[in-house]
Amino acid sequence: MLQKKICMLGSFAVGKTSLVRRFVESIYSDVYQTTVGVKIDKKNVQVEDKEVSLVLWDIYGEDDYQKMRWTYLRGASGYLLVADGTRKATLEKAVSLEQKVREEVGVIPFVLVINKSDLIRDWELDSALESQLAAQGWNILRSSAKTGEGVEESFALLARKMLG
Amino acid sequence: MSHLLENFPVEMGFALLEYRSGGDFVPITGLPKWFSELWPGLAKASAPIPLTQQSPFLENFMLEAEDFWNSPGSAACQSETWIEKSGSGREIPVQARALFLGGKRILVLFSPDSQFHEQVKMLQTARNALLDHERLAREIQKKEILLHCIVHDLSQPLSVMHVAMDSLLEEPISERSKQFLTLGKHASNQQETMIRQILQTFSDDLRASLDAGTEAGSSTDLLKCARKTMALLGPTFEAKGVRLAVSASVVPESRWPVVGEASRLQRIFSNLLENALRYTPAGRHVTIGVEDEGDFLKAYVDDEGPGLPRDLRPEQIFGLFMKGKQSGGKAGLGLYFCRITVERWGGSIGAVTLPERGSRFWFRLPRAVAGTGARGSDLRGSADSAAAHRKHTHIRPLRILLADDQEDIRTLTAHQLKRNGHKVVTAEDGIHALKAFHASSFEVVLLDQEMPGMTGDEVARAIRKAEEGKKKRVFLIASTGNTASEDALRLKQGGFDEVLGKPFRLEDLNLLLSSAPVAKPSRQLLVQPSSPAGSTFAELVARVGGDEKLLKRMIHTFLRDTPKRLTGIAAAIRRKKPESLASLAHALKGSVSIFGAEGARKQANVLQELGRSGELSGAPDVLAQLKEEIAKLQANLRGYANQTPARPKSKRDSRRRPPRNRGKRRR
Repeated sequence: MLQKKICMLGSFAVGKTSLVRRFVESIYSDVYQTTVGVKIDKKNVQVEDKEVSLVLWDIYGEDDYQKMRWTYLRGASGYLLVADGTRKATLEKAVSLEQKVREEVGVIPFVLVINKSDLIRDWELDSALESQLAAQGWNILRSSAKTGEGVEESFALLARKMLG
Repeated sequence: MSHLLENFPVEMGFALLEYRSGGDFVPITGLPKWFSELWPGLAKASAPIPLTQQSPFLENFMLEAEDFWNSPGSAACQSETWIEKSGSGREIPVQARALFLGGKRILVLFSPDSQFHEQVKMLQTARNALLDHERLAREIQKKEILLHCIVHDLSQPLSVMHVAMDSLLEEPISERSKQFLTLGKHASNQQETMIRQILQTFSDDLRASLDAGTEAGSSTDLLKCARKTMALLGPTFEAKGVRLAVSASVVPESRWPVVGEASRLQRIFSNLLENALRYTPAGRHVTIGVEDEGDFLKAYVDDEGPGLPRDLRPEQIFGLFMKGKQSGGKAGLGLYFCRITVERWGGSIGAVTLPERGSRFWFRLPRAVAGTGARGSDLRGSADSAAAHRKHTHIRPLRILLADDQEDIRTLTAHQLKRNGHKVVTAEDGIHALKAFHASSFEVVLLDQEMPGMTGDEVARAIRKAEEGKKKRVFLIASTGNTASEDALRLKQGGFDEVLGKPFRLEDLNLLLSSAPVAKPSRQLLVQPSSPAGSTFAELVARVGGDEKLLKRMIHTFLRDTPKRLTGIAAAIRRKKPESLASLAHALKGSVSIFGAEGARKQANVLQELGRSGELSGAPDVLAQLKEEIAKLQANLRGYANQTPARPKSKRDSRRRPPRNRGKRRR
């Protein structure tokens, strides 16, 4: 079976671990538990006619306390860039992470997932920036690990991009 | 001893494995419990174990380890912690280290269990604190805006307090009462000072955070900003299948310079376009347009959505934290931001449901004129400096149009002005003010800046437009709570001659009136004592400038129209039409206020508020009470209407003292 490595990148507390848990185990918890280190999960998916094993690297969110090790991206076929729609700074962080990935490992497929769409009333993201990124060719999806909205779609879109 | 040494790594929780070519490992000591729990099959195997096949993380780490082993003397090679899951689902933290032992390539694996959990605990605390800090910062921002609104609203009642106490001080009251009133005035002055200080501090902060780089004289092109925002949001509209375009009526090459700053103007367009997109279905249109209104330029965003939300009044849409029940919007700050920004630049903003479908959100801004960056003087400062002269100011009688939607301010100010010998016509909103202006002749028009229907700014513009080509020019005074110097400058650029900061003192108003240009030489008038406030016949006569005929006509109109209004109110309640109820109750409130019927006014006000809230369940009871109050008023007014005209006398006499036989006449 085809195996593809996917890295989850983004600021801390944007919901990377929650997205993986929702995708792999269909579980969600409202309690924020920070990720220290790296957690790896697998899920088999059907992409068009092919069965693919996705190896999901849930990498801790970079901040002042933990710096990202770019060696984790070795062998990655793509990555899910995650931002929190209720925290504007996380989208800016996502933009800088994408640039850094390009510098470190070159251009590989990615999807920007703006998570926490269930908290639309607290939404803080500037649609102008979102539009600007879309205009640059970014694939952007909104998701909610809590409700499951957009989660399967995000991974499926990335898988298609990786195989395409 | 050697047996002890062999078991030492296992006892310490280490797994020591020799790396063989091909990616296999051979344990060189026993294996610790956590290793067996994690990879039970591997722990039992006697042959070389394919460890990297079991752990993608290790597979990745081996690339670094091989680099290390191939370059002896290079820096130590150690992994960060990663988490492996055992068969039972337990998460086990693991770390790896590559080293040479006796010339052999050794991989050391260990599980930093307690150390790891300490690290997690520390990071969890630190990140929770960061999130709390972010949340707090957002809350503070919201509360700062709220504080501004509260402080602004607090200053409004002070106008009433000042005028009311001024009025009382001029009544024939005892020295002791005067002392109490003076104390009250002193306290209200103190409160006014404090509110102004808070407002000023807040304004400075707000200006620092929001108005960076924005001066009153900044200008930008309205259409260019609209186009830039459209380009930015174009893909989002495309993604939803909504067509975004500039109205065909807009001449592309025209210039549209307005007062404002480009990035914030774009944010206004962005907020309005996002709002339009939110409610417009796929396949429909959103249109941006600009229009020339002379001194002002207007921009609008039309959508083809369901129209304005029924649960909100148009003016509520731009309120703080305001969201419709059907809204999928944000925190309720977007449209509020548009309003405070547009108003700060001297413009206005609004929204209407379009006749066919959809809604129009519009705003207008002053056309940018060269040299508008000059700063005006502070309102309070100008009033204070002039106040030194006010005691000796004599005011000639003037024909004044007074418009203020706050009934108490309107009534008290009108009362004071009339007592000073002026002829005063009042209007409860901008639309009525403009009607009154066209229906009669005035020397002075005093306009509250924020009124429903038409703002003071809009009325002023309409008046100035109507005066074009005429010799006569009315003296326009703005009364406003926005007392910053740029506000004064903006208002004067908008057509006002003078600006009166709210809350204002009567002396400030008198001072401004004394500077009104004289159409014809007129005798000077000294301030006269007035009759007591209330709803006696004499007081009502005084309220209409001593014109008994006018009063009787007003009474006649009231007695004729009120039953129809009450029927209309009852029908609005019965048919569950809150907007009609609010409108009819508002009109009736104004009518009964003329006659000083406080009880009826209060009940009408309650009905108006019920109408505005849409909650009509208590309305029938309130209507019953209102009818009772009005019945009493009608009985009194019928009595007044039948009174014989008072003995002809000079206006000065009627102002100076109430009729001696007032009590007998009423009986």
